Amino acid sequence: MIQSIADYLSQLKKELSGCDRATIQDALSDAEEYLRTALNSVTSIDATISEADALSLIIERYGLPEEVATAYREIEHHITPALAQPSYPDEPEEAKKEKDERSLLSRFFGVFADFRVWGAFLYLLFSLATGILYFTWVVTGISLSAGLLILIIGLPFAGLFILSIRGIGLVEGRIVEALLGIRMPRRPQFHRRNMGLWVRFKNIILDKYTWLSIAYMILQLPLGTIYFSIFITLIVLSLFGIAIPILQLGFDVPININGGSYYLAGWMLPLTVVAGILLATLTMHLAKYVGRMHGALAKVLLVRG
Amino acid sequence: MTSTNEETKKFQKELNAGTTALVLLGVLGQTSKPMYGYQIAKLIEANTKDIPIMKQGALYPVLRSLESSGLLESEVEPSVSGPPRRYYRITETGRETLERWLEIWDQIKALVDNVMHGGER
Repeated sequence: MIQSIADYLSQLKKELSGCDRATIQDALSDAEEYLRTALNSVTSIDATISEADALSLIIERYGLPEEVATAYREIEHHITPALAQPSYPDEPEEAKKEKDERSLLSRFFGVFADFRVWGAFLYLLFSLATGILYFTWVVTGISLSAGLLILIIGLPFAGLFILSIRGIGLVEGRIVEALLGIRMPRRPQFHRRNMGLWVRFKNIILDKYTWLSIAYMILQLPLGTIYFSIFITLIVLSLFGIAIPILQLGFDVPININGGSYYLAGWMLPLTVVAGILLATLTMHLAKYVGRMHGALAKVLLVRG
Repeated sequence: MTSTNEETKKFQKELNAGTTALVLLGVLGQTSKPMYGYQIAKLIEANTKDIPIMKQGALYPVLRSLESSGLLESEVEPSVSGPPRRYYRITETGRETLERWLEIWDQIKALVDNVMHGGER
């Protein structure tokens, strides 16, 4: 039985032993504020009641020292971190530090060792092929769906086409994740089984993401064409620069520009090699950034927000 | 019987863990003047029917944690009788958070209602 407020506070302090000192401080001042205010209001209503009796009524409401202590402990352990929203760094500290410590030169040429950059490079070259494929599929599908709509097979055909869009979107997501390293969804979106076919169809048609996926697939053709042309040109140029001395000295092949044949002076040959290597490295860096950009685009258009 | 009672208590406790913060933020979101712990506790008590749902002592740590995450702010004022009181007031972030929490609350309420009443679509 708790006889006085001081009694309660000392018990509460005992229950909280081991907690953070600030927590104990908070808990004690909170309890004191409540108990004193409550005691004042109870005794002002009924002056005959003894302090111990009044306190037992108040503690009934406020909670026993062990109950209150549990509440503070729980808050200390669970709620604060959840509300404080700790930030999750994108990469572990170690990796970041290691990255920062490397010299500028090794970071510049390091792209050749980064398999992600090679993945992006591969993806960008292949995007012409996938772009042609997606574009043809979407344009054929949409025009056939629209054309067949007056026939009885029109709706089922349109439904199948839309489903195929979802499927291709998912597959493209897997490719993007594998080659560009951008996290994409692994599972199809709908799981509900109790919906009628018609409702399901309507839902998919009205879903913004169906149309965004279609937009992505159409966009892939121009983008793929641009990526392919730029990167093929850059790679050919840099390989050419590296190959000039070999061709000229080893095989006696001149450079042919606009119908004229040229031999480069001896001192220029090492320079073309250096220029070729630099251009190749820059191309890889460009591939890294364009790949990242395309991954972001894919994420916006293919992934539900 | 005791085991179902245990389960009920546990359920009550888990539910309280989330709703206490919402209720406190809601109480402070509705008044313009700052309130101290005992006042808030009495106000909540006045709004609970029959048995009190939570121990009032459990409100204080939640107030503290809401303050430390910037949803509430407080200042201590000496009182005429008894110890100084800590007055809490909702912050601008707190108001925005309350709005979002109420949306979540509405969704959960609707979910429970729909499940229990066979939810018509």
